[in-house]
Parts: sequence; structure tokens; C-alpha cells
Amino acid sequence: MLPLTGGLYLGWALGANDASNVFGTAVASRIISFRKAAVLCAVAVVVGAMLQGESGIHTLSGLTAQTMTTLVIVSVAAAFSVTLMTILRLPISTSQAIVGAIAGIGLATDSMNWGGLVKVVTCWIATPIGAMIIACVLYKILGAVIHWIPMSMLTRDKILWSGLIVVGTYGSYALGANNVANATGIFSGMLPGVSDFQLATWGGLAIAVGVITYSKRVMMAVGSGIMRMDAFTAFVAVSAMATTVHVFAVIGVPVSTSQAIVGAIIGIGLIRGVHGIKFRVLRNIAAGWFLTPAISLILTAAGYAIFCRVSG
Amino acid sequence: MALFVNKQKKVQTEVSRYCSQVANCLDTFQHALEQYCKNPDRDAIRKDVADVHKAESLADDIRRDIEVLMYSKALFPESRGDILGLLETMDKVPNQAESTVRMIMNQHIVIPETYCQKVLQLVDVGCRAGKAMIEAAEKLFTDYTNATVAIGKIDELESEGDRIDAELIERLFSDDDIDGFDKIILRDLVKQISQISDRAENVGDRIRIIVAKRGI
Repeated sequence: MLPLTGGLYLGWALGANDASNVFGTAVASRIISFRKAAVLCAVAVVVGAMLQGESGIHTLSGLTAQTMTTLVIVSVAAAFSVTLMTILRLPISTSQAIVGAIAGIGLATDSMNWGGLVKVVTCWIATPIGAMIIACVLYKILGAVIHWIPMSMLTRDKILWSGLIVVGTYGSYALGANNVANATGIFSGMLPGVSDFQLATWGGLAIAVGVITYSKRVMMAVGSGIMRMDAFTAFVAVSAMATTVHVFAVIGVPVSTSQAIVGAIIGIGLIRGVHGIKFRVLRNIAAGWFLTPAISLILTAAGYAIFCRVSG
Repeated sequence: MALFVNKQKKVQTEVSRYCSQVANCLDTFQHALEQYCKNPDRDAIRKDVADVHKAESLADDIRRDIEVLMYSKALFPESRGDILGLLETMDKVPNQAESTVRMIMNQHIVIPETYCQKVLQLVDVGCRAGKAMIEAAEKLFTDYTNATVAIGKIDELESEGDRIDAELIERLFSDDDIDGFDKIILRDLVKQISQISDRAENVGDRIRIIVAKRGI
């Protein structure tokens, strides 16, 4: 069970960082308290991981052949990349960290499932684009509905208040269903007596602990993120992100909620005018997208080379 | 959720009550000026000042109740700020009406008969701007996207008020029958009345921002 520790750490880091994508705006704008948001998010993450987390686990475990040694190298390298990106204050994608690390081992041992990797990378590219398209469509439709139905400003607020909590919970479910594979996916079939369902449950719990123990700081920082969001924009962005991530959970490819929310926000920015978008933050995110898998890959390959030399 | 809905309903009811009270205050003010122009009796104006003051005080009481309700964490923080700011700006309209009738009483102002019609016209424009302001504020709680229609009315009335104000002052200062000191006093009174529509316009601007913030 010791190798699983690295995966659980990844799950914790994922929960601490990615919960802000689903409940950040609602918490930062004091629509819901952090405590309530964290509990809702943690429960939905575990439920999502248990009900729909196994598809992603199959995909990740099929990317390359693993041994107990390579598992440790992969999980430590991915965890180290995540920590490094956090220190550099660059946005983290645990999906990219773990896939980069797996690719490092795959290349080093010449056992890479290229078809699987292409599928994953294609989904990474499709994630922000899909979220952007969904956000544009939702923004137009919901905007027209809200504009044409006569209502009090307080009723509008109430609808968006309820809506943000509902889509936040849905987004948390999608987060658990999609991202649990990042935490424990590589251990599939490697730990005797541990089924994929149990891995999904452990991974979901690790993410939930990350949400409850360490996500507040990131959630509060979300307000000053890529673009200042009002309740309606946040509702559309989180809805688009949750739908996109859920679709990829069903397909069985772990993707980044951060990239999905960035795509959604850019989509809204394209409709409302890009002047509100902070391009410096976007540049950092883009750097993170390239650096995370690259650092993971290099660290894993280097770690494996050192291990081979030391063990003769 | 049910608690939130109840508080929202209560805020809505109280704001509606506040708007009715402001309308009542403006009606009392208009009536007071009409009566004073017909018969500049000091005892009558004293009673009218008391009536306007009572209406303004009642509006103030309701506003404070709403503030307390807001501080007990009803609604979103953003809406709370918007409504509190709106009420504070609206409050300046009945305040202005009260200070106008008080000015007439305290400074023993007598409006010359030849000016009464124009002054009452200015009062009417100010009160209509106040009513349009109330309509816009109430729209926020029924159909907020259409609140801007009433704001358009306020803008028109404010411009009309400015026109009457300028016309009155020009006429006043070219009138040789009025003493120089009285001219200054009457100019101040005209400015004071004209402020009612100006303050209603400030409320309109605030409502415009509230609607724009919720724009798609």
C-alpha cells in the first residue's frame, strides 16, 4: 500500500487546488460559506469518483506497462512537479503531471501506448475548446432567458444563488468522476486485492480531504483570477466547465478543470469583450500547460535512469 | 433557502412601503406649496411643514428598518450594498422637500403672485421626477431590466426642471418691482425646489448602474 501514498498526495493536492474552479466564485463573493461549499464539494467528489471514476482509471492504467518501482517513480515525479508548479505559483494540472510522468516511464521503457496517449492529448486540447463553445452557447441562451422574463433583481439573484450551488455540486461530481484517475489510476491492477472501485473510493476521499483542509486560500484567490466574474458569468463558466469535464469522465479521459474553466471564461470574454481578461494570468496558465507535463516527463525519465544505474 | 426567500419577500415589501411613503411626502409637499401660493398664511405653512416632516420621518423609519433587515444578512452582499446605496440616495428627495417648506416657513418667504404659476410648475416637475424615481426603484423589484424606461422619464423631467429654473431666475433678476434682497431669497428658493429633480436624477443614475451591473 505504500506506493499509494504518492497517489493520495496527488489527490490531496488536486482537491486543494481544483475545488476553487467549482466553488471559488461563490465562496469569494460570499454567496455560500467556505464550510458549506467544502462539505458539498467533498461529498459530491467522493460520489462522482465512486460512480463514474473507473473509466478514467482504465485509460491511465493502459497508457504504459508499470512495475511497483515505476509506480513509485511516477507518483513521486508527478507529486514533485505539482509541488514545483505550486512554488512557482503556476496553475497546476494534475492530469498533465501524471500523464507526463507516465509518458516518461513509457519512453524510458519503450512501452508507451501511443494510441492512448494521443487520445488523452487530443482530449486536453478539446477541453478548453469544448468548454469555450459550451460557455458561448449557454451565455447566449441563458442571457436571453434572463433578459426576456420579467423578474425582480432579487429573484434573479436567488436563481443565480441556487444555480451556482447546483452547478458547483455538479462540477464537484464531475471533478471526482474525471480526476480521481489522476490520483490512483496508475495503481489499477498493481495492488493485490485492491479493485478499481476501491482505488476510485480512496482517490475520491483523498481529493475530498484536500478540499476540506487546504482549498480555502485558493478559493478566496479566485476572485482576482483571469477575469472578474459576476454571479451570472460564474454560473455560465462553472456550468460549461462541469459539463465538459463530465463528458470526458464518461469518455474516460482525465482532463484539467482549470483548463476547462479557462476555456469557458475565454468563451464568455469573446462575447462580452476581451478587455476584462487578464492576459498576464492567461500567459502563466499557458506556461503551466506546457511546463507541467514536460517537467513530469523529464523527472520520471531521469528518476528511472538513476534507479537503473543504481540497481545495476 | 426558505429563510432567504422570506427575507427577500420582506425586503421587497418594506421597499414598497418606503416608496409609498416617499410618494406621500412628495404629495404633501406639493399640496403645501399650492396652498401657500393661494394663501401665504404662516399658520397654514407651519402645519404643512409638520405634515411634510411627519411623512419624511416615517420614510426615514422604514429606511432604517430596511437597513437593519439588510444587516441581518438578508440577500447577497452585492444586492445588499446596491439596495442600501439606493435607499440612501432616495432619502435625499424627501429631505429636500422638507427643507424647502421649512425654508419658506423659517425665512418668511412670500412668493409674488406673478411667479406662483411658474414656481408651482417647477414643484410639479420635481414631484413628477420623484414619482418617476419611485417607479424606477419599484421596477427593480418587479422587472429590473425595464427600470431604465422610468429613468428616461426622470432625465426628461430634470431637463425640464432646469429649463424652468433658468427661466424663473432670469425673469426674477430682470424684474425691477422686486427688491434685490428678495431676489436672492427667491432665487435660493427656486434652486431649492429645482434640487428635487436633480436628486431624483441621482437616484436614476444609481439605478442605471444597478441594472447595468446585472446586464448580460
